[in-house]
Amino acid sequence: MAYDKPIPPKGQHTQPFWDGAKESKLMLPRCRDCNRVHWYPRLICPSCHSMDLEWIEGSGKGRLHTFAVQHRAFGGWGEEVPYVTAFIDLDEGDRMMTVLRGVDATKPEDIRIGCRVAVEFEQANDDTFIPFWRVVEE
Amino acid sequence: MASPNLSNAAAIVGAAESDVIGYPMELIGERVTSLQHHIQAIKNVSTLTGIPISDIQGVFSAGWSGELCEHLGLKPRYLDTTSVGGCSFQIHVHHALAAIHAGIIDIALVSHGEAGWSYRGGGYGGRGGGQVSPGAEMTAAYGTFGAPSQYAHAMVRHFHRFGTTQEDFAHIAVVTREWAQLNPRAVMCGKTQSPFGGPITVEDVLEARLIAWPLTLYHCCLVTDHGGAVIVARPEIARSLRTNPVWVSGAGESMGHQNMLEMEDFTATSASRSAATAYKMAGLGPADMEMAMIYDSFTITAGITAEMLGLAPRGEGYTLWKSGAAAPGGRLPINTNGGGLSFNHSGMYGMQLLVEAYRQLSRSAEDGVNGTEGKQTDATACVVNGTGGTLSTTGTLVLTSDDR
Repeated sequence: MAYDKPIPPKGQHTQPFWDGAKESKLMLPRCRDCNRVHWYPRLICPSCHSMDLEWIEGSGKGRLHTFAVQHRAFGGWGEEVPYVTAFIDLDEGDRMMTVLRGVDATKPEDIRIGCRVAVEFEQANDDTFIPFWRVVEE
Repeated sequence: MASPNLSNAAAIVGAAESDVIGYPMELIGERVTSLQHHIQAIKNVSTLTGIPISDIQGVFSAGWSGELCEHLGLKPRYLDTTSVGGCSFQIHVHHALAAIHAGIIDIALVSHGEAGWSYRGGGYGGRGGGQVSPGAEMTAAYGTFGAPSQYAHAMVRHFHRFGTTQEDFAHIAVVTREWAQLNPRAVMCGKTQSPFGGPITVEDVLEARLIAWPLTLYHCCLVTDHGGAVIVARPEIARSLRTNPVWVSGAGESMGHQNMLEMEDFTATSASRSAATAYKMAGLGPADMEMAMIYDSFTITAGITAEMLGLAPRGEGYTLWKSGAAAPGGRLPINTNGGGLSFNHSGMYGMQLLVEAYRQLSRSAEDGVNGTEGKQTDATACVVNGTGGTLSTTGTLVLTSDDR
């Protein structure tokens, strides 16, 4: 079935991320001076203000920082409510937003903050693979 | 008019441009975005002057200041994003001068980036067309739209960190409704105003329709119309009028993030910083506040903000409502107009906060139009806190009555 949800407009400085996503790699920006990973991608390191940045392949692993259950949504997501949105603490540092998979949206009290999660990608069109995160065993 | 002497209060200490200007495609074979122009120029002026970017305290630009601060990881004390056409940058320098003269900041950045050629056409207001904010790019896929879908994440984190519950926050909605019942202009005052008006219980809040778990409908503000205005005047004028003056004893502002992706602590806002500035200016502290007007887009907004303003310990903001302290007759009345939750919320609710704070401290809160018996408090000091965006930006005022 064709992907029916919003497809993000591509920015001008993020091509390595989308290229990596096609190969199921989670590419992350890292500063060559202070070695910190940041998210979302910047033109300048938000920690030390160096402009010497590189892209690295992340582990695709992290922990659940917080979440919510969406009962009202638009576009293709409207047909999927309720579903769980979440913020993920990346093992490399900083935080990513996502839709969380592998959980029951009707039982939010069973979702455990701090649980291990792993990234996966779903093809939206020829150029776009969207990252989603799934709860996994420790 | 009193004329403060701003002459020589500040100087321009450096100026720089972005790396490639003019026709970048023709010069280097690629387009440059407006954001790139901003960041390169900022980096270059920092290098030129030797002033680290992290030392910048005030950011002035035509519509870009939130995005720039976030991109640079700055926590500014002064934000100005005045966008009034080509003369904006002269105006920014003027504002920066005033801010520096007033002692609010020492170092101001005025920045401009406009890909007028690279991304010509299709843009709006100097941003250049066809460009994507990298924060928005990385959150657009997930169907969250509108404030509740975002704020819910903050409440869940609060639950996790402090052991709070939906019920704890439901008390904020219930008590705020009590205040609305004393305000005939509140949408939820009573059945006369709305079939859904009048008292509500904690059970009503918990059982209401889910918008974004854990937020039910009654955890969320109204959507209404509103118009309001206040006049601010210098002391000699204020003393000469029929109305009672309410003194601006303290003021402060700050921001944490623009995109919720950058919210460092989901249980905290920049109100801790904006309030610290305001309290210091006023020479007063949270213990001196006799009432509070707190932006309540959602119950979580009010609960967290009460903590940030120092009115309650961390994690315990909701207890002000649950204990009845914030209720009519309580020791610390909060949101005496009925709040964004039950009085009125037009999208940007800051004016409603100001109007009610003025009425309370000028002793005009209870006259049958502005309020009924029991609405007027005897507070002589009120902290007013506005919150913008997604728990992003904050402005705090400490107001005091003339009879204090």
